[in-house]
Amino acid sequence: MTPSSIQPLESYRLAEYAVPIPCYICGVGNTYDAEFCTHCAGPMALAHQANSQNIQPRMIAVLGPSGVGKTVYLGMLIDMISRQSRKMQVFSRGAFSVTLQQTTIAALARCEFPEKTPNEPDRWNWVHCQIRLPREKHPFELIVPDMAGDAVMEEVDHPHTYRVIGSLLKKCSGVMILVDTTQVTAGEVEQDFFAQKLLGYLSELDEKAGARWARQPVALVFSKADQNEACMNDPAAYAEAHLAGLWRQCRERFPLHAVFAAGVAGACAIHDSVSEGRLQIPLRVEPRGIVEPLEWLLKHLPRR
Amino acid sequence: MRILNRQHALAMILLLCLIEVLLGWWTQRPWLVACAAVAGCWPMLRLTASRAPSKTASVPGKSPSPGKPTVAKVRAYVDPTDSDGLVSQMLAEGRFALLLRSRIAQGLSEAQFRQALDVLHETMGLVPDGAVIVDPTDGAAASHQQALTDMPAGANDLAAGDEQPLRVLGVAGRVVQVQRCFLDRYPVTNAQYAAFVAAGGYEQTGLWDETIWPAVLEMVDATGRPGPRFWRDGTYPEGMDDHPVVGVSWYEAAAYARWVGKRLPSDAEWVKAAAWPVPQPSGLPSQRRYPWGHSMDRAKAHLWGSEPRGTIAVDRLPEGASVGGIDQLIGNVWEWTRGNFQGGLYQPGELLLPTPMKSIRGGAFDTYFDNQATCQFQSGENPLGRRHNIGFRLAVGVCDLTLVHPTHAQGQATASSSDVRQGHAAAVEVNA
Repeated sequence: MTPSSIQPLESYRLAEYAVPIPCYICGVGNTYDAEFCTHCAGPMALAHQANSQNIQPRMIAVLGPSGVGKTVYLGMLIDMISRQSRKMQVFSRGAFSVTLQQTTIAALARCEFPEKTPNEPDRWNWVHCQIRLPREKHPFELIVPDMAGDAVMEEVDHPHTYRVIGSLLKKCSGVMILVDTTQVTAGEVEQDFFAQKLLGYLSELDEKAGARWARQPVALVFSKADQNEACMNDPAAYAEAHLAGLWRQCRERFPLHAVFAAGVAGACAIHDSVSEGRLQIPLRVEPRGIVEPLEWLLKHLPRR
Repeated sequence: MRILNRQHALAMILLLCLIEVLLGWWTQRPWLVACAAVAGCWPMLRLTASRAPSKTASVPGKSPSPGKPTVAKVRAYVDPTDSDGLVSQMLAEGRFALLLRSRIAQGLSEAQFRQALDVLHETMGLVPDGAVIVDPTDGAAASHQQALTDMPAGANDLAAGDEQPLRVLGVAGRVVQVQRCFLDRYPVTNAQYAAFVAAGGYEQTGLWDETIWPAVLEMVDATGRPGPRFWRDGTYPEGMDDHPVVGVSWYEAAAYARWVGKRLPSDAEWVKAAAWPVPQPSGLPSQRRYPWGHSMDRAKAHLWGSEPRGTIAVDRLPEGASVGGIDQLIGNVWEWTRGNFQGGLYQPGELLLPTPMKSIRGGAFDTYFDNQATCQFQSGENPLGRRHNIGFRLAVGVCDLTLVHPTHAQGQATASSSDVRQGHAAAVEVNA
C-alpha cells in the first residue's frame, strides 16, 4: 500500500508560468524558469536582472572574425577598469559576468591565451556591469557579450543562423570592430573583407539601421598592434593606408567612427605540445590602448 | 614645411627692414634708420636660432613641445697631453671600468686610481659568487636538491663571468655557479647614453658586432639621427636625463657596454643580484621572489597602475633595492641580459620563436601581473627590437678589474703623465 503524503499546491508557481518573461535580447516570451531564451538562446538572467532591479541596460557588441582577440580584449578591458578606478568604476552584476574576466586573466597570468569561445550561444560569456563615469551623476548599466567569431561571420554570411546576434545588434547602442593587425601587416586581405561584411550587415539589419548607425558610434580597433609601432602611433593613418575599402565604407556609412590600436602581449611565441598542438602564447602581458575605445564609445553613445 | 614658411616670413621682414634703412638713408632721416635696424635684429636672431641644432622634449608617442631651450650635446675636446683631463672625461662618461683594467691602471696616479675606484663603488654593487637557481618551475625543490648533491667535482671552476648550467634539470630549472662581479646600481640613463652618442659611438664600427653593421644604419631616432628610437635630433626629451634609456636594441646595449668597458650581465648574474640566494645546510639555496622579500609590494616597484605612466627616474623607489643595494631590478624597464631567451615559464625547446630572442628580465612600468615581475621571470625579445619599455644595466667581472693600485701591489713608482696617455691609448684599443 502506498503511504499517503501531503503535497503543497504552490499555485503561485502556476501563476508565474502563466506570465511570459520577455528575453532582454530578442523580446520573445519565455517561461519563468528558462535559463536561456527558447528563441535566440540569449541568457534569461539578463531579463530577470532588468525586471527585478527595474533597469534598462545598454548594449555594446564586440565583433570580429575568429582569432582576432575578442575574448582577450574584453576580459582584459573589464579587469583593467575594475583594477584602476580613477577614471571609471565598474561593478559586475552577477557571478556570470565575472566568468569572462576570471578565465581570461587566469590564462594570461599563466602566459596562455584563453580557450577559443565555443560557437554555441548558450556557452558564451555575457558581461553585465554597472559603470560609473567620473562626471556623470548616475551610473548606467551595460551588457557586452563575448560572441564566437565563427558564429558572427556565419550570421553575417547567412542571416538568422544565430538569431541572438541579429537581435543583439538591433538593440546595440555602439559596436567595436576588431581587426587583426598582424594579418594586415602581413598583407592578408581577409581582415578588410571581414570588417566590410560586418559594416554592411550592421547598416542593413532593418529598414531603420542606416539612419540609426548614422548617429551611433563605431570603434575600429586594431588588435595585436603592439608589434606594429606605426599602427600604434597613428591607427587612423594606418587604416587609411592598409584597409582602403573598410576606411571608405566607414566614412560613408558610419560618420561617428574612430580608429584605435590595442595590444595585450609584448611578444608572442608558438607553444608546440603533443596534446594540444600548436598554440600561440604571450611571453609577457603589457596592455596598451585597451580602455580608450570603450571610453570613446561611452562618451558618444546616443542619449536616451 | 612650417619651418620653411616661418623662415620665409622672417626673411621677408628682414628685407622690408633693409628697404626701410635704405629709404631712411636716402631721405636723410636717422630715426628711420635706427628703427629699421632695431626691427631687423629680431628676424635675424630668429633665423639664426631656427638653424641651430635644437634639443626638444618628447616622450614616446607624443610630439615635442615647441619653444624649449636649445642645447647642443657635443663632447668636449680634451688635450691628449692632459692626463688629468682625459681621466676626468672618462670618469664623467662613466668609463671608469676601462681605467681599472690592469694595463690602464698601471698608468694612473694613485689619486686618479682612487677616483676611479670610488666611482666604481658608488655606481656598482657587488654580486658575491656562489650558486643560484635560474628559471625554476613549480615542484622543483626535490630535483634541485638532487642536482646539488649530484654536483660533479670541479664543476665550480668556471670561466670569468660565465653562466654554466651544472645540469639541466628538466622541469626544475638550472643551478648555476656565478663568479663574483659588479652590477650597475641603476639602469643606464639617457644622460649616460647621450655621452656615447656624442662620442660617435654609432660610427665606431669596432664597438659593434660585424654581423650587425648593416642594421646599425637603421638604428636612428625619430628624426633620423643615430640614437635611441624615441629621441629627437640626437638627444633625449627634456627633463628625462635621469630616466632609463629605452628604445635601444640588444646590439646598441652591447655596443655601449663595450664603450664603457663593461658587458651585459648574464641571466644568472642578474637573478643572483636580485634574488640574493643564501646557501642552506641542505644544499638548496634560499632565494627571494622579489629583491625586497617574498611577496609583492607595489609601493616598491614601478609597474602597471603606478603613477606616472611611463618611465621614472632611476633613483626613485630606493626601498625596492636588493640586499646588495641594487635599485629598480623590478619594474620601470625590462633589462636586456646577455643570454638567449630560454622559454620563460615553458621548457627550453617547447616554444617555436618567430625570431631568435634575447632574454629580458625584471618587468617594466606597464607589466600587468605580479608573477611576471619577479626575480625569476624571464621574457624574450628580438635583439633588434627597440621597444618603449626595454633598457639595460651593465656588469663587470671582479677578476677583470684591478682593485689595488699597482704601486701597492708591485711596489712600482707613481705613473707619469706619459704613462697615462699610453693608458688612454690602450683604452681606445680595448674599445676597438
